[in-house]
Amino acid sequence: MSGFVRFITRRVISIIPMVLLIVLINFFIIHLAPGNPAQIISGLEQPSQEVIKALEHRYGLDKPLVVQLGIYFKNALKGDLGYSYIYSEPVITLIKERIGATLLLTLTSAVLAFISGTLLAAWSSRYKKGILDSILSILSYVLYAMPSFWLALILILIFSSNLRWFPTAGMFNVRLSLHGFSRFGDILYHLFLPVLTLTLIQIPVYFRVTRSSIFQVSRDEYILTMTAAGLERKKIFNKYVLKNAILPSVTIFGLTLGYAITGSALVEIVFAWPGMGRLMLDAVFKRDYNLLLGIYFVLAVCICIAILLTDVFYAILDPRIRYK
Amino acid sequence: MSFMRLKNVDISYKLENTSVRAVRSFSCDIERGDIVGIVGESGSGKSTLALGIMRLLPPNASLSAETMLFDGRNILSFNQDELRKIRWKEISVVFQKAMNALSPVHKIFTQMYDVIIAHSPDTSKGKAYKMLTELFSKVNLPSKVLNMYPHELSGGMMQRVMITMSLIHNPKMIIFDEVTTALDVITQGQLLDEINRLVREFGLTAIIITHDIGVVNEVCNKVAVMYAGELLEFGKVKDVIFSPMHPYTKALVKSHPDLRIGNELIKGIPGSLPDLTDPPGGCIFYPRCDVRLDLCKSVKPEVSVLGDRIVKCHRIQR
Amino acid sequence: MQSEKVMIKRKSNNIIKFWHSYRQSLYGLIGFAILLIFIIVALFAPIISPYNPHAMKGEVLLSPSLSHLMGTDHLGRDVFSRIVYGTRVSLSVGFIAAGLSAIIGIFIGSFSGYYGGIVDEIVDKIVDTFLMIPAFFLILIIVAIFGNSIFYIMLVIGLTTWPQNARLMRAQALSLRERTFVMVARATGESNIRILFTHIIPNGIYPVLANTALQMGGAILTEAALSFLGLGDPNFVSWGKMIYQARPYMTFAWWAVVFPGIFIVLAVVSFSFIGDGLQYTFNPKLNVKQKKVSA
Ligand SMILES: Nc1ncnc2c1ncn2[C@@H]1O[C@H](COP(=O)(O)OP(=O)(O)OP(=O)(O)O)[C@@H](O)[C@H]1O
Ligand SMILES: [Mg+2]
Repeated sequence: MSGFVRFITRRVISIIPMVLLIVLINFFIIHLAPGNPAQIISGLEQPSQEVIKALEHRYGLDKPLVVQLGIYFKNALKGDLGYSYIYSEPVITLIKERIGATLLLTLTSAVLAFISGTLLAAWSSRYKKGILDSILSILSYVLYAMPSFWLALILILIFSSNLRWFPTAGMFNVRLSLHGFSRFGDILYHLFLPVLTLTLIQIPVYFRVTRSSIFQVSRDEYILTMTAAGLERKKIFNKYVLKNAILPSVTIFGLTLGYAITGSALVEIVFAWPGMGRLMLDAVFKRDYNLLLGIYFVLAVCICIAILLTDVFYAILDPRIRYK
Repeated sequence: MSFMRLKNVDISYKLENTSVRAVRSFSCDIERGDIVGIVGESGSGKSTLALGIMRLLPPNASLSAETMLFDGRNILSFNQDELRKIRWKEISVVFQKAMNALSPVHKIFTQMYDVIIAHSPDTSKGKAYKMLTELFSKVNLPSKVLNMYPHELSGGMMQRVMITMSLIHNPKMIIFDEVTTALDVITQGQLLDEINRLVREFGLTAIIITHDIGVVNEVCNKVAVMYAGELLEFGKVKDVIFSPMHPYTKALVKSHPDLRIGNELIKGIPGSLPDLTDPPGGCIFYPRCDVRLDLCKSVKPEVSVLGDRIVKCHRIQR
Repeated sequence: MQSEKVMIKRKSNNIIKFWHSYRQSLYGLIGFAILLIFIIVALFAPIISPYNPHAMKGEVLLSPSLSHLMGTDHLGRDVFSRIVYGTRVSLSVGFIAAGLSAIIGIFIGSFSGYYGGIVDEIVDKIVDTFLMIPAFFLILIIVAIFGNSIFYIMLVIGLTTWPQNARLMRAQALSLRERTFVMVARATGESNIRILFTHIIPNGIYPVLANTALQMGGAILTEAALSFLGLGDPNFVSWGKMIYQARPYMTFAWWAVVFPGIFIVLAVVSFSFIGDGLQYTFNPKLNVKQKKVSA
């Protein structure tokens, strides 16, 4: 297993420059943005001279740019992302309160999309070049092209406004203070439409990648060996083709997650989901740059972690990578 | 009745606008216990023929034949289920590209075990493990290989694993497709010795596909010489190699460092394979033949049967 | 003069050849047809739209009828006319943003791949990072901070999405620089810049072109999302903004939300089709493979 450990270590190390780069981008935006950096970090429209002095000292804004950058790095990595003026709370506290809801939405939909995309690909590959395959293929183009917020609105129109099956907004019913299992059920009930939206827009990626990978794997030598050895077709497909064919979609899982979080932010706004999407929108409109940059930083770090976890999972599935 | 009888086997691959006629009118008889070498240069259709015999051709290939008998049964008319039953149980194959012949993400044992239970569903894992260990010892593989993944093995080890795998169900016949080609000389030698021993120990009928007429000389009792999809000469090794009749076989023997007679210079055969999408009408070897006649260009030579020997050349028919 | 003529002839020959193989891809053709229609609509918007897109003359929230094909919105504006004008914004965003992204990507990718070395490694790392972190948030932040004119939006989308193109171009440059004709050019003393512009870029640009078509669709989606968040350019009608404005009245005027969305989907699908068609054309290997599978 030492190969495994080495592999993971290498991946962790390769994530570090990415995090640094994001911090760098943030730093530049703060300095390029109209207004005084100390004012931006303070999160106040018109901070008093003392506040500015204190902040300039704390973030070294009176020092040369390079030193400032160093201090900014240090603070960001410690989780000090400054203050949000609209909420007058540390940015990191605000994010902590809401990130759970966002991750719940994003991860649930990503996993569901992975599973259903793979299954659909497996199913359609049995009817390749048939009607079903063509329909699924066109559907995947359409879903891929669909703005997440629009799909969310359409689903609300159909399932909430017309059929009244699902609630339009929120994460739980605030009027009933439910506990334990029924609270869990209530959250699921509210989760359904947002997750459906996000799952639907992510399915095409997994569907297409797995479909072409199934085509490719089916022509691999070992499939011929297994056929020659008289294994049943079904067994060959379910055990050997599928496990080899999902490897590419596992690799893109981490990357797709970034795309999923974008979708989540928009869908959260439509469904008034108490996650980071709403926070972000507030930050945009009240010009709370600090909060905005903090959200960007945290999301980026989340994506890096997700990519890392994907790599670990990949290494478990594919023994070759561990020994490279 | 021969053990395997092939008569006028034709195989072609369909491509976008053309088709490659990879094997044409191939006929020969194989007796029980024969070890038949098939030699021919790259692209002459050897692997295609092997896949055809196993009925494992890819979807873009089409196979037709007058007769394809295996152990008294007509395998041409077999459906998928019947084929599945004889594959590996009665006839198995060791493929050319051993390195990719097993799934990279499953352990060797998992894959071997699946092959075992494909035909003997009641075998327990313990029993399978014991049986495989025993087979492994016959090809000098340690049993720990069973718990490894394909990419952890060397080419020679993988080839041995595949040979073991072909023996699992004690088949009547095994096709070895260029088992030694990708290996170094020493491993080649060891592997050939092992195959030689196993074939006799298991009482197998075997087809050994190779580029190397020296291998045929070492292991086989009969040999088929293929060129551009056609069988040019077939017979006992001692006849064909030591008194070749077809000019192509002569050239092949002459170009082998260990088999050439006296101090003749080693010579390659000038020219290259003809275009298989549109094979010429006359003798297929005509463009490269150094003893050709005018007749050879336009008239395809008949197959001459001389005892247990087959030659396809105008010079022999005369 | 003579040689110039020959060159032009060869070029037009190439275009014809290209068109012949592009024609083979059904999706590509459909995508191209849809795009043509959109371009015509955008160019002739004043002729095609039955009403002034800003005129608040009609009755509010009229459902689709013969006089208002797609109904009217909460201010009595004709939805169809607004969609027709919205085509202009979407197409320009698509073309300009993705075009900019292509140009930047081609330059950075080809330089980085052709020259190699430490700069190449750094570029590769940066590209990696940008590819992992969704550009949308960065675009959002920049637009929120620096302003939301349509020109700005295009610029920012272009400036944040080039890494994909750079990666494709870099891979091409890496393999092309080992090819014989480039080696020969180098041996005969052609300058590196010249080699880049006459050999590397013209021969390696194809995957970038296919990707650019896909990115045009992506840019349209990004602009729509920004507009939906209320960050669109206030001076132009855009599909995303229409959805944003119609959302509060959605339950009793579905048309004002549904139709603009359908057009977004149509536009993005047409670009995806074109992108896939181009990929199909530029990559004959892929072609054969797919044909083989179908056989
Ligand atoms: N799947 C395929 N589709 C199309 N043509 C094929 C296919 N497989 C083989 N061919 C063609 O059929 C001919 C015979 O190939 P084959 O692999 O049988 O030769 P071979 O004698 O085994 O060669 P080698 O010694 O290199 O293994 C070649 O011209 C080859 O290009
Ligand atoms: Mg072969």
